[in-house]
Amino acid sequence: MGLESKLPNGILLTNVERFVNYSRSTSLWPATFGLACCAIEMMTSGGPRHDMARFGMEVFRASPRQADLMIVAGRVSNKMAPVLRRIYDQMSDPKWVLSMGVCATSGGMFNNYALVQGVDHVVPVDMYVPGCPPRPEMLLDGILKLREKISEETFAEQGAHA
Amino acid sequence: MAIDPGTEAQLSDDALELFVEGADWESVVDAVEDDRITVNMGPQHPSTHGVLRMVLDLDGETVTRLTPIIGYLHTGIEKNAEVRTWVQGTTFFTRMDYLAPLFNETAFCLGVEKLLDIEVPERAQAVRVILMEFNRIASHLVWLATGGMELGSTTMMVFGFREREHVLDLFESQSGLRMNHAYIRPGGLAQDVTEDFVERCEALLELLPRKIADYEDLLKRNPIWNDRLRGIGPLDADTATRYGVTGPLLRAAGVPFDLRKAQPYSGYEQYDFDVPTETGADSYARFLLRIEEMRQSMRIIRQALDTLPGGPVMVADKHIAWPSQQSLGVDGIGNDPEYIRHIMGESMEALINHFKLTTQGFTVPAGQVYVPVESPRGELGYAITSTGTNKPYRVHVREPSFVNLQAADVMARGQMIADVVVVVASLDPVMGGVDR
Amino acid sequence: MSEFAVPTRTHGLARVALPLEAIAARVTAHFPQVETLQAYGELTFHVAPEELVALLTFCRDDEELDTALLSDLSGVHWPAGDHVIERQASTTGWPEYRISREQGVIEVLYILRSLSRNHWFRVSVGTPDDAPKLPSVTGVFATANFHEREVFDFFGVEFEGHPNLTRILMPDDWIGHPHRKDYPLGGVDIPYKNDKFIPPPDERDLREVID
Repeated sequence: MGLESKLPNGILLTNVERFVNYSRSTSLWPATFGLACCAIEMMTSGGPRHDMARFGMEVFRASPRQADLMIVAGRVSNKMAPVLRRIYDQMSDPKWVLSMGVCATSGGMFNNYALVQGVDHVVPVDMYVPGCPPRPEMLLDGILKLREKISEETFAEQGAHA
Repeated sequence: MAIDPGTEAQLSDDALELFVEGADWESVVDAVEDDRITVNMGPQHPSTHGVLRMVLDLDGETVTRLTPIIGYLHTGIEKNAEVRTWVQGTTFFTRMDYLAPLFNETAFCLGVEKLLDIEVPERAQAVRVILMEFNRIASHLVWLATGGMELGSTTMMVFGFREREHVLDLFESQSGLRMNHAYIRPGGLAQDVTEDFVERCEALLELLPRKIADYEDLLKRNPIWNDRLRGIGPLDADTATRYGVTGPLLRAAGVPFDLRKAQPYSGYEQYDFDVPTETGADSYARFLLRIEEMRQSMRIIRQALDTLPGGPVMVADKHIAWPSQQSLGVDGIGNDPEYIRHIMGESMEALINHFKLTTQGFTVPAGQVYVPVESPRGELGYAITSTGTNKPYRVHVREPSFVNLQAADVMARGQMIADVVVVVASLDPVMGGVDR
Repeated sequence: MSEFAVPTRTHGLARVALPLEAIAARVTAHFPQVETLQAYGELTFHVAPEELVALLTFCRDDEELDTALLSDLSGVHWPAGDHVIERQASTTGWPEYRISREQGVIEVLYILRSLSRNHWFRVSVGTPDDAPKLPSVTGVFATANFHEREVFDFFGVEFEGHPNLTRILMPDDWIGHPHRKDYPLGGVDIPYKNDKFIPPPDERDLREVID
C-alpha cells in the first residue's frame, strides 16, 4: 500500500480518499492472465467491437508488477494454483482480483480432481462474473461494478484486504 | 524473456544453478563458462499462447533445446465425461479446444453415431460442414490475430478479432452461444437452423474474401512480417511425420494429408475443394497455407449452401433423438406447446420416453471406435470405449495441439531466442486442447 | 530452409485405402500369434507386450503397410472383478454385457496410420494393472514420447526405455493415477448428495486418494 497507510484515518482524509479512489478506479491496469476459453473473450473485450479502451483500461500489462487488476479468466488447475498465487503476490498494492467465468468462480461443470473449485481458495476475489464464458459485455459490466466498489472503499478497507 | 528466479528449471545434474535477481547479471556472466544458460519462459507469459511453459537451453542467444512443460490447464475432461451421459459429453468436449468447439462436438458425435450405427440426416450433415468450416475460418483468424500481436502487429490483432466477431454472430444466432456451443448432438443437431441462416452465411461469404485479401495485402509484402517468419521454425515432412505432426504444419511441408479428403466424413466427399500445400516448411509457408485454407473453406461453404437439403436435423429413432424439433413457446422460452401437449396429455409412453431420455440418456452398444476429423490444427481423434451403458467407459482425445507441441523442440533448435515466439505461434497450440 | 523443401519419402495420397483383410493378412503372415478383431469397420490387432516393438517396427518399415504416423496412443483401465451391465430393453434394447476378469488390465491402444496408403488400424496390448509395465516405442515413433508420459501419468504404466518418463499433465508431486477406475473423480461434494455440506476451504483435501 502507498502513502495512505502511513496516515491516520480521519474525516479530513475523505476528500483525499475520494480523489485517490477516483484515480485508481478510472485507470485500472489489468494483468494478462488468460487461462482458457474466457481468455479469448477477455481478448475480444479489448478488440474493436467491445473496445475496453473506452473505460481507460486497454493497457493489458504483461508484468504483474505493472498491473493492479488480475482478471482470472478461466479454469484454475491444481498445477496452476501456486503460479497464480505467485503472480498475485508479485502485483503491487492496491490490487484487485476479478474472477471471470464459472470455472474460476466455483469450478463450474468440472467438479473433479484436476481443478481448484473456485479461485477464492487461492486469492481473495473482489468481483465474480458468471457465465461460460461470460460475454465481453458481462466482463465490462463486472469491471464497471468493480470500479464502483473501488470508488467507495476507504483506506482502512483497502488495507484490510491487501 | 522473463527470468523467474523461484521457478526450478529442468537442469541436468552437472548444471550450474544461479538465481538472478535485479541487476546482478555480472555474476552470471562470470560464473557461466561456456556461455550456456537455462531460462524459464512461462507459464504466465504474454507470448506463450495461454499457460504454456517452456524451459530454454541457450547458447548465447541461440536455442539449443526447448522443453515444453504442460499441464497448467489440465481440466480432467476425459475423466469427467465418464460420469455423464453421452449427450452431456458434447457439453464437456466442446470446452476442450475452445477455438474449435464445433470440431470437438462433431468428432465426438461421429464416434457415438458410429457405435450406434446410425446415419445422420443430410441436412444436419450439411449444417455441420458449414458451421465447421466457419469455425475453421474463425480459428485461423484468431491465429492471425494472436500471432500478429506476438510479433508486435497490433493492427493484425484488431483485424482478426473484428472479423471473428462476425463469425461468432452467426454461431450465436444458431446455437445461442458465442463459444462452447454444444449445438451438435449425437444423432444430428440440437435444433434446426434459423430462417435467416442462409442469408447470414451469404453475408459472411460476401464480407470475408475482401477482408482476407486485406490481410494478404497487409502482411504478404510487409518486410517485417517477412523477415520474422521466413526460414523460422523449419519442419520438414519426415521429421513432422516422426513427431506425429498433422494439419497445416504437415501440409506446409508439402504433404497433402487432409482427413476431409483422405477419409471423408459428414459428406465432405460431395464438395469440390483443394488441399493447399506449401513447400517452404517454415512459418511463412504456414501463414500462406492458413490464408489459402480459409479460401478453400469458403468454397466448401458456398457449395454446401447451394445444395443445402431440407428435412429433419435429427435421426428419427425416438430412443436416441433428443427432442429437437421444438419451437419456442408463446412466452419466448420453453418448449413447443404441441410437444408438451403430446407428452403430457396424449401418450404416457411418450412421457416416459422423454423422462428417461433426458435423465438417463440412451445406451450405446459396447465397442471401441476411433474417429478422426480434420480440425484447424490437424487430426483431432476421439478414441471412445463403450461398455454398453448410458455413459462412456472411456474417451481419449487425440489432440493435435498436444501432439504438435512435441515438434517445438526440433523447430526451435538453432533459432534465436526471439524466434521462439514465432515458432510457438506458427504451431498454433491451444492450451485447452493440449492439457484437456 | 531449402534442404527441408523436398520430402524424401513418398507422401502422395492414394485415394483408395488398403482393405482391412489385406492388412490383417499381411500382419498375421509375419506375426502368427497376433489376434485380429474387426468391428465397426475398424481393425484391431491384439498383441503380446514382447512382440509390441517388433510389430510396430515392422508396420512402420513394411512397404505395403507403411504406417509412418503413430496417430494416437491411449490407455483404458479394466479393473478386476465382475461388471454386469444390465439389459436396458426399455430404451434401446441392447443385450446384457458381462465383463469379468480375475486380473485387472490396463489396455494400451496404438493407432497406426499410413499417409501414403491412406489406411489405419489399431494395435492393442494389455498389461496387469497392479504392476503395469510395457516396452517404450519412442525408439520407433518419436511422437510416442508425450503420449507415453500421458499414459504413465494417468494410468501408471511404466514404459521401459522411455527417455524421460515423468508426469506430464498432473503436478510432479501428485499421488495416484487419476484416470484409473479405482481413482475417484474427486472435486467437492455437491450438497444435495448424501446431505453432505461443502467443508470450508482450509478443511478440504483436494488430493484425497483411495489407495
